[in-house]
Amino acid sequence: MNDRIILEDVSKFYGEILGVNRVNLSIPPGITSLVGPNGSGKTTLMNLMTGLIRPTQGRVEVLGYKTNDPEHLFKVVGYSTQFDAFPKGLTGFQFIYSYLRLSGMDSDTARQLGRQAIERVNLADAAGRVIAGYSKGMRQRIRLAQALAHNPQVLILDEPLNGLDPLARAEMIALFRSAAAEGCYVIISSHILHEVDVISDQVILMSNGYVVAEGAIQSVRNEISEHPTQILIRCNRPRELAAKVLASEQASEISIHKDECGLLLKTRNADDFYLALNKIALNGIEIESVTPADDDVLSVYEYLIGSDEVVR
Amino acid sequence: MKRIWWEQIKAVMRLEMKKTFFATRGLWIYFVALVPVVIFIAYAIANSTQIHRSENLARRQDRWLTYQDLQAVRNGMSKEQVIALLGKPPVNFHWSQHGGGGRTTVHDELHYSDGVDDIYVSLVDGTVRNIHISDGYDMGRDSVMFAGVFQFFFLRLAVFFGCLGIFMNLFRGEVLDRSLHFYFLAPIRREILVAGKFLAGLVATSVIFVTSELLQNVAFLWHLSPGARNLYLYHNHGLAHAASYLAITVLACVGYGAFFLVAGMLFRNPIIPTLAILIWEGINPFLPAVLKQISVIYYLKALCPVNIPTPPGMPPLFAMLISNPDPVSAPLALVGLLIVALLALYLSSLQVRRMEINYTTE
Repeated sequence: MNDRIILEDVSKFYGEILGVNRVNLSIPPGITSLVGPNGSGKTTLMNLMTGLIRPTQGRVEVLGYKTNDPEHLFKVVGYSTQFDAFPKGLTGFQFIYSYLRLSGMDSDTARQLGRQAIERVNLADAAGRVIAGYSKGMRQRIRLAQALAHNPQVLILDEPLNGLDPLARAEMIALFRSAAAEGCYVIISSHILHEVDVISDQVILMSNGYVVAEGAIQSVRNEISEHPTQILIRCNRPRELAAKVLASEQASEISIHKDECGLLLKTRNADDFYLALNKIALNGIEIESVTPADDDVLSVYEYLIGSDEVVR
Repeated sequence: MKRIWWEQIKAVMRLEMKKTFFATRGLWIYFVALVPVVIFIAYAIANSTQIHRSENLARRQDRWLTYQDLQAVRNGMSKEQVIALLGKPPVNFHWSQHGGGGRTTVHDELHYSDGVDDIYVSLVDGTVRNIHISDGYDMGRDSVMFAGVFQFFFLRLAVFFGCLGIFMNLFRGEVLDRSLHFYFLAPIRREILVAGKFLAGLVATSVIFVTSELLQNVAFLWHLSPGARNLYLYHNHGLAHAASYLAITVLACVGYGAFFLVAGMLFRNPIIPTLAILIWEGINPFLPAVLKQISVIYYLKALCPVNIPTPPGMPPLFAMLISNPDPVSAPLALVGLLIVALLALYLSSLQVRRMEINYTTE
């Protein structure tokens, strides 16, 4: 059995309209975030991974299972979609219970797993209420419970934090992290970048149906050569340090931090700069910290895709 | 079949039956199923009233008449001759009409009954001018009428459109409600999903239309005296006919259900397949023998226990619709219908594998 989620030369067209084009991915365990503006192809990619749509060309396999084999695929995959429709008249518990019965589980097991899933998303109090009366956040949570209920190895979550309040967001993020720590594949689509930045092991940046970058966020940032790396240095004598750095020709641009306790510089070669900094800072300048200022998802996203539609 | 598949089919059925039986958009199906029941209740009330009237009339006569007595009345007889033949009339309408030139015409209307059939004798100036015998209750004639309603209304319209409403929406309704992904995200073979949905639709339509058919039978027979009812049920194949009608109703649900299930997957607009199937079923008698077999009504007609005679003088085109010129035997009809239904289900299972969730999240 393959231990990756593989997309090989995958394209999907809706008639004349491009969904995704020539996507090649090999997704390892951990939290992977799909990032991109609306219409960039995130949901299409997730629907392709779960067989809800078929690729126009290419091959998709999830842990060795073909996506046209739902009987086996959904034993290892749980998908929380953005579709906001539920079978009519069902309570939250009945929704999860019915899903588990559809999976072929006996009544007792379905009941037990259903209760556990509902407790995991903190919806136990509302489990007996009809879903039609749920708030947006509650519907989001019940969808998450459905995806989690059968304890799948692969969790595919389309905008899972939408509609959740800050406390619920924190709880869900903790849930995703614990799933990833247990070796699960957690694939999350989001356009809320600071959250993605906090939780992702790797990101897939998408734009107009194309994958524009993928991998761990720092390695993606390192590959963007046209934008100099920004580095924030906190120190006691920033003006003096700035002058020395300029003299060493290691930085292309330097600005003093407004609190006068640091400086922000841009360099084309971060590794060389770090080596040079050791020599520059010998003369009594106390350096408190040196941190990259633009190797987060937001910066990478802005460099590669632009800042439109980004929710910070 | 794997045990888990059966469990999954039952799970699909549980969800679907709830939706099918209690869907607001399906309320009209109950109405359609009830229409023939209402027809037979109305018929039974009218018939019952007629029987009571005839019996009352017969009781008020001087003597008990036979059908032959009623037939003995001829035009040209005098009022006295009629009274001598049939006795004093229990109902006698008498009136005079004053014409021009001071001429007066005397009219009489005499009613008699043998307890079942009534005779209306019209006399002008004491001479019989017109005789009308109104045939009362006739089980043979009513059986044919029941068969006619069953074949031409119940099967071709009520069950047909009922199955359309239920089976066509099994997948199409989910797409319209944007809830099909719920099933497509479960670890269940799509063929199993088709089987579960089909069986749920079959149970629902069978319950609705078999109940309707049972009620029609009850309405058809309730106004009869216990003796007449027993005679019909146990000595004139009434019970066998009733059982046949129930079985044919279920088979109609199987056949039309399979047709509409696949049609609901293949077409977005339900009007196109509905018209196509309706026309196809309608022109069945005019099709070549090979094409006739790809139809539901062809087999159902062959299974019907009562043949409907073609009334004399009917245009050949209509006569062909009623008659069954090259019927198949009942076992062959049964096998043929099941094969056609299985073919349609096979097409459904191919189609469901190709289905994608194309509705958006907007």
